Amino acid sequence: MTNHEKYKKAFSVLQTSESSFREVETMARLQKRTKMKTAAAVIAGCIILGGTGTAYAANVGGIQRTIQLWLHGDQTTAALDVSDDGTYTLKYSDENGQLHESGGGGIAINADGTERPLTEEELMSEIDSPDVEYEDDGSVWVYYHNQSIDITDKFNDKGICFVKIADGDKTLYLTVKYQNGFSYSNEKYIEPEEFN
Amino acid sequence: MRQPIQQLIELYQNSLYAAAFNICQNQMDAEDVVQETFVQYYTSRKEFENEQHIRAWLLRVVINKAKNINRTFWKKNKCSLEDYMETLTFPDSQSRDLFEEVMKLPDKFRIVIHLFYYEDYSVREIADILKLSESNVKVRLSRGRALLKDSLKEEWEND
Repeated sequence: MTNHEKYKKAFSVLQTSESSFREVETMARLQKRTKMKTAAAVIAGCIILGGTGTAYAANVGGIQRTIQLWLHGDQTTAALDVSDDGTYTLKYSDENGQLHESGGGGIAINADGTERPLTEEELMSEIDSPDVEYEDDGSVWVYYHNQSIDITDKFNDKGICFVKIADGDKTLYLTVKYQNGFSYSNEKYIEPEEFN
Repeated sequence: MRQPIQQLIELYQNSLYAAAFNICQNQMDAEDVVQETFVQYYTSRKEFENEQHIRAWLLRVVINKAKNINRTFWKKNKCSLEDYMETLTFPDSQSRDLFEEVMKLPDKFRIVIHLFYYEDYSVREIADILKLSESNVKVRLSRGRALLKDSLKEEWEND
């Protein structure tokens, strides 16, 4: 008997009953419904946000420009709208020609405790930051400029992964908590307990 | 192309379960992971080139999901491998020994050994599913085999 045959014989004991997966279709239908609900909520959110953004730009003079955006390792052209309230909106088309819109922004806290909107430079830095994505096939990827790094197998038993990204003269030290955010610095790895 | 989910369950439930068990070493986790994989297929709109493409995709997803579940807290709170093995009826003692020794292999050797001997995949195909280089797969396969030979002696051939 060959090793292949021996192996198959030994592992033939691992059997599941078809009833174990009888509910797959029901579960899939439920999940689809939940996703549709979420999508509907997001669309509603966009309309409100879009309305506010347009009004702001018209009233106080938002800045619009075309920038080069790194998307999953490919460079693409995007329209960037920066508002005076420290928020931005990005519009770009993906490789299938589908139009996407995303946004972000926030506030910074001054030394005296007062809040201020993020500056354009700070917003650009946020847009230019690395991204961690959890794909449908269960793999985990870090995207930064033209680099795509598969970190699926790089997490330790506490679900932490440290990634060093070299980009020209610049080096980024990225700490990723599995499905719980990430943080990075130009100088050293941020300790997992220092964020979230 | 797409295949109906019921057909896929019938065709692949046992091989996906074996792959998931190989990583999780736990019946409940492995069943959950296989179920999630079928749900993932059902909800995804991905188009496949042929049946082999679907099989390889399902295996890749089940392996990744099994690795993911191993990182979670829940993993550590379930029935042990030893307890589960007591419930299995092996055809003979050699099969039991082989199963036991495979389960003792380091994780990264175990899944490569499994895809090679159970799924009959080539080194190139394993590299593609696990997103590893072919040389890396060859090293893992060779080290896994050496460990099995070491523990199983004449019950494992040199191949």
